[in-house]
Amino acid sequence: MGSLKPVDEATTQEGFLATRVDELINWGRKNSLWPMPLGLSCCGIELMAMIGPKFDLARFGAEAARFSPRQCDLMVVAGTLTWKMAEAARVIYDQMPDPKWVIAMGVCSSSGGMYDSYSVVQGVDMILPVDVYVPGCPPRPDAVIDAIIKLQRKIEREQPLKARLSGANLDHGIGSKAFVRAPNHSVPTRGSHAVLPPGELAP
Amino acid sequence: MSAPSANALDRVQSGLAALNPKSIAARDGMPAFEIEAEQVREACRLLRDACGFETNTFVTAIDHFPAEPRFELFWQFLSVQHNDRVRLSARVTGAHPHVASIGDLYPGTQYSERECYDMFGVVFDGHTSHAGGLKRLLMPEGYDHFPLRKDFPHQGIEPDKLYNAWFQRRFERHEREHADV
Repeated sequence: MGSLKPVDEATTQEGFLATRVDELINWGRKNSLWPMPLGLSCCGIELMAMIGPKFDLARFGAEAARFSPRQCDLMVVAGTLTWKMAEAARVIYDQMPDPKWVIAMGVCSSSGGMYDSYSVVQGVDMILPVDVYVPGCPPRPDAVIDAIIKLQRKIEREQPLKARLSGANLDHGIGSKAFVRAPNHSVPTRGSHAVLPPGELAP
Repeated sequence: MSAPSANALDRVQSGLAALNPKSIAARDGMPAFEIEAEQVREACRLLRDACGFETNTFVTAIDHFPAEPRFELFWQFLSVQHNDRVRLSARVTGAHPHVASIGDLYPGTQYSERECYDMFGVVFDGHTSHAGGLKRLLMPEGYDHFPLRKDFPHQGIEPDKLYNAWFQRRFERHEREHADV
């Protein structure tokens, strides 16, 4: 599970205990992701297929979908997010306990997709910090499983104990000014709205 | 669409004779009449009581921007007992588009009128589905624009404005409540 650093290197850089405990915490986190299925349109059907027995997300430890954000740590935005729904999506995200991750499933949630329209959020990264984007309309369940594996690789690189010991602000919820962690700058935004720079509040 | 029903034409022409409706040759063959916007309520009442049209199927509009009068409103009626339909239309100006509501005559039009207001900004006077009068149906409450108007850009006018205002209010409330932390 994961890439183990040589003991010498780990000891000199961050201390043996911290790296070992980080490995342990990350191992636990990445293999027990609990998805919050935010099925907003047709992507939701593929999401159900992915969680079901045929594609069997249980192989990756992420089959325990709960419909309560309090019990989830992985939000899968599956489908077209409208501006009217955006407030609800943000509230659900804020209700999830830390640590939490977001997968933008499908082109609609990644960039607005074909809905270049007044009612659709042009990428959920305008309102949520997205970790993994999955292209496709809708993406096959395999593609989303690939995204979950990529997210597991990302979780492996996190340093939860170091962050805790250094006293960093772990609150990514409503009290955090850094409410957009990774805006999708590669997607050109049109119209009157623009992606906010990281850490900046909406005017 | 079937050929124009002489039956419906006759009924409407005799029933609405007092209002002097202008008959229109509609491309889909449906009997269609144009009337003055001020007479819509009376015409709809006559259609229900004198002509046997007991159901309204929709209320909608066409935006003829930049021509004036700008909005062409449509009411389409179905007579179940005679198995035929008729369409009424009326023109209203773009400056303050308004027309009388027929929500009390045909209760089913409440949603159509709300949708028409939501998309075109046509005000239905006397609308009664809510205590406060006409409410938006699909767009969020508080949005200032009407998306199906011809001068509305399809990418929208400040589509994120309401969300950002909501987020800001929420953030400020959170900071107030956790000021001591």
